[in-house]
Amino acid sequence: MINSIFRYGLIFILLILLQVLLFNNIQFSGYINPYVYVMFILLLPVEIPAWLMLLLSFATGAIIDYFSGSPGIHSSATVLAGFVRPYVLRVISPRDGHESGASPSMLSYGLRWFLTYTVVIIFIHHTALFYLEVFRLTDFFRTLWRVILSSMFSIIFILLIEYYRRGK
Amino acid sequence: MRNLLNFLARYNNLIIFLILEGLSFYFLTSRHTYHNTRVLFGIRGLTFGFEEKISNIHTYLHLRDINKTLAEENTALKNSMQRLIKEDKTPFTSVSDSIYRQQYTHTTSEVIYNSINKQKNFFTINKGNRQGVKPDMAVTSGQGVAGVIVGCSENYSIVMSLLNIDFKVSARIKSNGYFGSISWDGRNYQEAILSEIPQHVMVSVGDTIETTSYSAIFPEGVLVGTVSDFNKIGGDFYKINVLLSTDFKKLQFVDIIGNKKKIEQLDLLKLFQ
Repeated sequence: MINSIFRYGLIFILLILLQVLLFNNIQFSGYINPYVYVMFILLLPVEIPAWLMLLLSFATGAIIDYFSGSPGIHSSATVLAGFVRPYVLRVISPRDGHESGASPSMLSYGLRWFLTYTVVIIFIHHTALFYLEVFRLTDFFRTLWRVILSSMFSIIFILLIEYYRRGK
Repeated sequence: MRNLLNFLARYNNLIIFLILEGLSFYFLTSRHTYHNTRVLFGIRGLTFGFEEKISNIHTYLHLRDINKTLAEENTALKNSMQRLIKEDKTPFTSVSDSIYRQQYTHTTSEVIYNSINKQKNFFTINKGNRQGVKPDMAVTSGQGVAGVIVGCSENYSIVMSLLNIDFKVSARIKSNGYFGSISWDGRNYQEAILSEIPQHVMVSVGDTIETTSYSAIFPEGVLVGTVSDFNKIGGDFYKINVLLSTDFKKLQFVDIIGNKKKIEQLDLLKLFQ
């Protein structure tokens, strides 16, 4: 228990640092803004109580907001991601159910399952995030295009981090 | 009562979700606090000093470019000074107060954090209240318009970049004086849109676009850019694409322009509105 809290704390800090110090500074184009910190929400244990899940999502989003100076945008998108996660997990649960205490990672369920799971959650999160950032519906399709491209890059980076974790 | 408790127990997650979303939306939508929060957030983030260190390294590596732009600006200033000396030989009044004609004050400052990849971009400069910087002052780069100050702390200020979909400033076509407003459509960091120019006006590619002093923020005649493309979209107005003269991707030193007669100008306007 203590061990896993410590482990998640470490993952949390590393992901936030990675996002704030590295990914927030990639000024490549308005279309490609990867947000890898959502990976923390992806990796939380399957049986975590929903209220804790929501509070942790809010905390993560609020910290990212704090450092990127965007009040409310990341926290509302991340809370939404945390809210839909249990439903997504239920719909795409592996054939023999979730093991108790398992973290929904590539190590435990394989690439294909993890990819589906990541794509769904990241897409929901990024859609909320980018439309909230613009906060208007003009240029609807251009924002959608930004959502798709940024999601692709976020997913690629999350998979790379996952592979790195598996390699260790 | 029992029903209520049952209801709460059943939907407690939904309720927590709605409360947290409500809180986020409160921060997001309260325009009143938006910029203040941004100042607070942005400047707290700076206390780590990372941005400033990165910016120092960046400046050092680009000294050659910076010197070149400075030299070019000097030449342009010398030229305009020569022109003024020639034109200004017949004084209208003989007031010996050296400050009576000065309307705008200039200060330089360094950009320590900048972004161009969002829809609402802001940058941070290293001068604030203590150096006399106030919200609503104009910010220009050596090449043209850069933004408007929206919030200040003791030693830093947050500037709303021209690359922000909420930014709007009055601008005109230099050759014929027709004015419209400049805004950014969020697409390309090198281009902005000039709207509200009626279709009977002659526009051609390469025309210079400059600011007007109508908003009392920017001085008259600060370069915005040149026309790169224009087309008629239904209605009576052109949609003119303007190639920005400021390169936001390498914004390093900016000029903060304060208007000494701003209050006078706006108060007078208020009397008649």
